[in-house]
Amino acid sequence: MKTSRLLVLALVWSFWSCQDENLLPESPVEVVPETFIPELSSSLQVGDFPQPERNPLSKEGVKLGKRLFFDPKLSANGKISCASCHLPSKAFTDGVALSKKGVSGNALHRHSSPLFNLAWHTTGLFWDGGANDLESLNFGPLTHPDEMAADLEEIVAYLIQDKTYPELFAQAFPKNPIQSATISRALSQYTRTLISQTSKYDDWKRGEATLNSLELQGYQLYQNHCSSCHQEGLFTDLDYHNNGLDLIYPDPPALEGLFLGRFRISFDSLDLGAYKTPSLRNVTLTAPYMHDGRFESLEEVLDHYQSGIQVNYSLAPQLKEGINLSPDERKALLSFLKTLQDDAFVLSHIQDSEK
Amino acid sequence: MKNIAYLFLAFVLIFSSCSEEEIPAQMTVELNFENTLNGKPLQLNSETFTLPSGEPFIAKKLKYYISNVVLTDTQSGAIYNVPNSYHLLGEDFKSTVELGMIPSANYDQITFSIGVDAEANAKTDQTGDLDPNNDMAWNWNSGYKFVVLEGEFTHKTTGERTGLVLHIGRNQNYKTVTQSLTGIRAGRAAQIQLKTVVDQLFLSPNALNASELPSTTIMGGELADKIGENYANGFITIE
Ligand code: HEC
Ligand code: HEC
Repeated sequence: MKTSRLLVLALVWSFWSCQDENLLPESPVEVVPETFIPELSSSLQVGDFPQPERNPLSKEGVKLGKRLFFDPKLSANGKISCASCHLPSKAFTDGVALSKKGVSGNALHRHSSPLFNLAWHTTGLFWDGGANDLESLNFGPLTHPDEMAADLEEIVAYLIQDKTYPELFAQAFPKNPIQSATISRALSQYTRTLISQTSKYDDWKRGEATLNSLELQGYQLYQNHCSSCHQEGLFTDLDYHNNGLDLIYPDPPALEGLFLGRFRISFDSLDLGAYKTPSLRNVTLTAPYMHDGRFESLEEVLDHYQSGIQVNYSLAPQLKEGINLSPDERKALLSFLKTLQDDAFVLSHIQDSEK
Repeated sequence: MKNIAYLFLAFVLIFSSCSEEEIPAQMTVELNFENTLNGKPLQLNSETFTLPSGEPFIAKKLKYYISNVVLTDTQSGAIYNVPNSYHLLGEDFKSTVELGMIPSANYDQITFSIGVDAEANAKTDQTGDLDPNNDMAWNWNSGYKFVVLEGEFTHKTTGERTGLVLHIGRNQNYKTVTQSLTGIRAGRAAQIQLKTVVDQLFLSPNALNASELPSTTIMGGELADKIGENYANGFITIE
């Protein structure tokens, strides 16, 4: 009797002694975020919707990301949000050449990029492609002293004590605490859903609208002169070219090669002064133009292509002779470019931002 | 007789439940880094140092990543790859890496890399020592600074205090180092002492003369890669 009791005790002890790490309480039933893939128009001419495996789109993630995008409290002075420089009404650019909206009030060195169809920018983000993905990019504007100047730890502290955010984070990222990685992932999910594919051009491509003869003539001119870089579909080849803006490139050490273009990232001399081809979608909304916003109108851009090309070693070869267009041809080309303006996209995001 | 059998069983159960050998199956290992310049412990904001090229130098910041630490027992062939091994170290910052409990062995070799590997260097939405709030992620070029040294030196020709900024990163400057270890016994807590020799950033194979640098802000390009070659050997050594 006594020994069998001892046996029981020994049995109990032998199980218990080595298993205490496994006795953690079961976590409550996990909410699984509802993942989705946006619907895509054939006129985008893209195969699929690329996104990093570690951060698939979910309804909850996008909702959280949108709130973060429009929240000025993320910035050091509580006044600047992503939307201060990326306005829905301007296809998410800001209408000025070099923004001074940042916390320091200093002018930035580059023009605010419009934000749409970013999922396909898998060859790099920023004008020079320095950012590999949206997830990595977001820390730039969040922390740069001339942008939101935030301390990432302070952002986390603000979000944790907020009334609404903890719940939104728990729904979007049930397995992670609130941390810089999840903040950036949510922002990326939102910006990846900014898809411009409902312009007149898109309707025309799908056979749901017609272009008039002027627009059609413009389309021809576009195909002949512009489509090698501003490739149809996304209207960018997502590659880097020197389109002849400058002959030489200053290189003050403190700016870490900022004026060298893609060379700053690739260290390839053929990339000196090269920048990522911007999309021509919504181009009627995104003035001023080029990486430094130097041209105020599309007329000026066409003047540049016609007579302003600076020929140097890295110039894109197809631009050596310039692009000569008669006044009538210009008119036609501009009327085609107007068909790329996506009012439905802009309107829906203005409304969405007010919700 | 039956009772004795029960008793025996009870003993067996008690002892087998956590089988214990002479040498514990696990041991703790800790890496300790000491940063030095001119053969003495580095101090930030101190006026008592010089650069290898002779200029008086005040260091303001020193931070660096080591990653992918591997311990090897070359006799038995036992290899321990530290999981998720990214460690940010620096002066007036962390100087110890605790590997925690690891399988016991007579480790006689350590391998680690200076910087972070290409995969980890391709994105910055990461946590722990790779969290971008550590001020080591570039914000215009996805990836990490591997070695950061900032300070001021007195320029030989102008006599002026001149800022020196080294931000060395990029995949080609990820350098792997293997060193022998002595005195580590399986099952016993081990402390590995490492010395980080700041001088070596300027010494060999590429001797750099601070007052003759084309730019004293080095964040990429040829000069950065030369410093990368310099830190590949003799920058972090076993004491
Ligand atoms: C002070 C103005 C400002 C703020 C605030 C700002 N941005 Fe930007 N954004 C810019 C500028 C300027 C660029 C172009 C920078 C470059 O290419 O070097 C840019 C570029 C981008 C790009 C790259 C797009 C492309 O086509 O490559 C993305 C994405 C982006 N911003 C997202 C954000 C997000 C998300 C936030 C908020 C966390 C934000 N921005 C806040 C000014 C701003
Ligand atoms: C060799 C490739 C190439 C060709 C051909 C080309 N572009 Fe561009 N385009 C670029 C690049 C690269 C940029 C960005 C340059 C920069 O910002 O430094 C650009 C910028 C622009 C912009 C400014 C967009 C913005 O948001 O800032 C417009 C508008 C434009 N191009 C229109 C055209 C038109 C119209 C044609 C044809 C008549 C054309 N491009 C031909 C490469 C090209």
